[in-house]
Amino acid sequence: MTHWTEYHAPASVVEALTLLEQYGNDAQLIAGGTDLLLDLQYNGHGPVHALIDVTAIDGLNTIRDEGDFLVIGAAVTHAQIERDARLRAQATALVESCSVVGGPQVRNVATIGGNVAHALPAADGTIGLLALNADVQVCTLTGGTLACAWQPLLSIFAGPGRNNLAKNQMLGAFRVPKPGARQASAFDRIMRPQGVALPILGVAANLTLDADTDRVAAATIAVGPAGPIPFRAGDAEAVLIDAATFDDGVISATIAAAQAQAQLRTSKHRATKEYRHEMIGVLLDRVLRTAFARASSA
Amino acid sequence: MPQLKLTVNGVDHTLDVPANRYLAQVLRYDLGLTGTKIGCNEAECGACTVIVNGQSVDSCIYPAFKAQNATVLTIEGLAAEWRTAQSPNLPISQSQENGDSEIERLGDLHPLQEAFVTHGATQCGFCTPGLIMQAKTLLDENDNPSDAEIKHCLKDTFCRCTGYKSVLSAVHAAAEKMRTGTLPGPDLPAVVEPLDNVGKPLYRPDAVEKVTGRTLYTDDYLFDGMLHGATLRSRHPHARIAGIDTTCALAAPGVKAVLTHADVPGDPRHGLVENDWPVFAGGQYPARYFGDPLALVVAETEEQARAALALIEVDYEELPAVTDPVAARRDDAPVLHPDRPTGNLLKHIKVRQGDVDQGFAAADVIVERTYRTPMTEHAFLEPECSIAVPAGYDDDHAKLTIYVGSQIPYSDRRQVAKSLGLGDEDVRVKGAVMGGGFGGKEDIAGQIHAVLAAQVTGRPVKISTRARRACASTPSATPPSSAPRPGPRATARSPRWRPSCTATAAPTPAWAKRS
Repeated sequence: MTHWTEYHAPASVVEALTLLEQYGNDAQLIAGGTDLLLDLQYNGHGPVHALIDVTAIDGLNTIRDEGDFLVIGAAVTHAQIERDARLRAQATALVESCSVVGGPQVRNVATIGGNVAHALPAADGTIGLLALNADVQVCTLTGGTLACAWQPLLSIFAGPGRNNLAKNQMLGAFRVPKPGARQASAFDRIMRPQGVALPILGVAANLTLDADTDRVAAATIAVGPAGPIPFRAGDAEAVLIDAATFDDGVISATIAAAQAQAQLRTSKHRATKEYRHEMIGVLLDRVLRTAFARASSA
Repeated sequence: MPQLKLTVNGVDHTLDVPANRYLAQVLRYDLGLTGTKIGCNEAECGACTVIVNGQSVDSCIYPAFKAQNATVLTIEGLAAEWRTAQSPNLPISQSQENGDSEIERLGDLHPLQEAFVTHGATQCGFCTPGLIMQAKTLLDENDNPSDAEIKHCLKDTFCRCTGYKSVLSAVHAAAEKMRTGTLPGPDLPAVVEPLDNVGKPLYRPDAVEKVTGRTLYTDDYLFDGMLHGATLRSRHPHARIAGIDTTCALAAPGVKAVLTHADVPGDPRHGLVENDWPVFAGGQYPARYFGDPLALVVAETEEQARAALALIEVDYEELPAVTDPVAARRDDAPVLHPDRPTGNLLKHIKVRQGDVDQGFAAADVIVERTYRTPMTEHAFLEPECSIAVPAGYDDDHAKLTIYVGSQIPYSDRRQVAKSLGLGDEDVRVKGAVMGGGFGGKEDIAGQIHAVLAAQVTGRPVKISTRARRACASTPSATPPSSAPRPGPRATARSPRWRPSCTATAAPTPAWAKRS
């Protein structure tokens, strides 16, 4: 079957969005394509006339240090993230989440922008970004004029597999704030060994500790899949922040809050809802302790 | 048509290829570099791994135009790249002292290729090019990797038969050669006294071919004028085929023939053990499983053949399905093989050992349970493929010839000849190297269709089944979902078991007998 007829590799965002506008609904942006091409071949994504490859766009595939933020182009690959020393030191949860996606051949091609744009609630890299309070840069072409603006990551998800991007929009980059003193993050997941592309459950936490006590001053916790879009466990974060210290009891209460707020489902090839409920306990316990230990020495 | 420019193994190419090609297809079918394999075709198995601009990728889902202006390295170019990169002063491998002409060539190879030979890290060889290319990306960055680092690197590069220990040991050995210039040999068991061969490494005679990607599996054969077949399969587990309209498919671009049950000149049924499986369901033979073949489209390209499948109109009359071996024995069960005197019962195999009644009488505890085992997929990495070349097509093919990686070529010949109405002597089966079989490549999976198509069109015809389709439709990949229903009873003192097993017989008895 012909899944696409034309393949374009524009050199700029304007060129990419112009092509997208030109082909209307008969075009699809492609980055690494490791999800999209399987959907086109096997999973009922209808054929498209044109694929518009954004990975050759200048600046879209670089990681940059911009003052208070580390900026990651939307077409940066999982392998680039995995190897970047700045991200390893300052965006640990993202690096840990991107390092476990697929095998090396997939990570060499699959991009973080593709991971986010696909809008799957269990997507590893997305969970990592979410815990790091990432913003996403959305580029919009209106009447030939390009405008790019930062917005919170969560704002672009519409539902499982659906993002809020309009036909004249694409992702430009992500930015994660550099961690302050006594701040660190961690990610962990549970996965079937092979053959299923998504994890049973992934959890990331980003903790900031008080200057001189064990109290958690700020926390971000992301869990997936735990709802129709990537899930931020706000109630659990509140438990951690409201607690006077960080101990077994607080961890248990945090887990209970996350379990109560998560909207878990059974997925046929991955796990039951009940199993996921229990695994929130296992994984959150692990990542909280890891992030705490890292923050204590940060 | 856009032009694709890329450098492969140091050679610049400018190609006029459709924009929808994948890199693996361009390498294999446009450039003839068939050392890069297509296994799962969905970025899981890594058999298609090549290196693009220094990064390993799964070329089966890598659009060719993503590699525009790129530098690509495949298994065929690995040894030359290594030799070019080396200083001439690098000590050559000790193994060259062996004196064997085949082994002398080892020193010319990349250390990974050499080590895969000397450490016995090849078997069927289908995964070997992918394993070596992926391991190369590791050794390029780290010439002393740990076991864990090697396993991490080879996570998505599957092997089904070589054995991972020899692969690990080969990668370590290659790394050592890259560090020191000397390739260590494999660990050998101690022997009491030296013998001529026992206790000494013997290299597989085909190992060098396998590590260089020169071994030809069926899909690697390319013949001038070769057509491609695609099979239409039943969408229902049990249905009478009231009619098939192939008119539109025949008129589709590139289509040369559309074959159905009416086109089978000889025996309309075939089978490994019993002659009970229609070459095409239709006519008096209903489709008896989801995936039973109904028609074959033959076209200039595989893509054209697949596209035309959608244009065939099938009039199904659905019949009640038999989905459970226990239900199949009920009096009101649909009869799958009306010409079989024992109905749905293939065979009752009785196994008697000792005095079971006495054992139970003496039992303290009797446990009765029903157990079911899951379906098991053979998961050979090389998808099934058959190529038929008509008699007299060229000097190499005086006889009607089938190229196929088959576990039982003589059975293939018998079944093909019978359904074609030919004598066994009129058919030659050329057993190609098989990329894993594990019992899954015993049955017919396209051989008869390919021959029929070659006879009708007068041209070579290839039928290649991609892994996902094979899992869903061909018997080799869909073993009987064996549903043993044992009623074990055991005593605490001396266990007694009385299992009664029922295996699914549908759709063909051959499967059940083997389960």
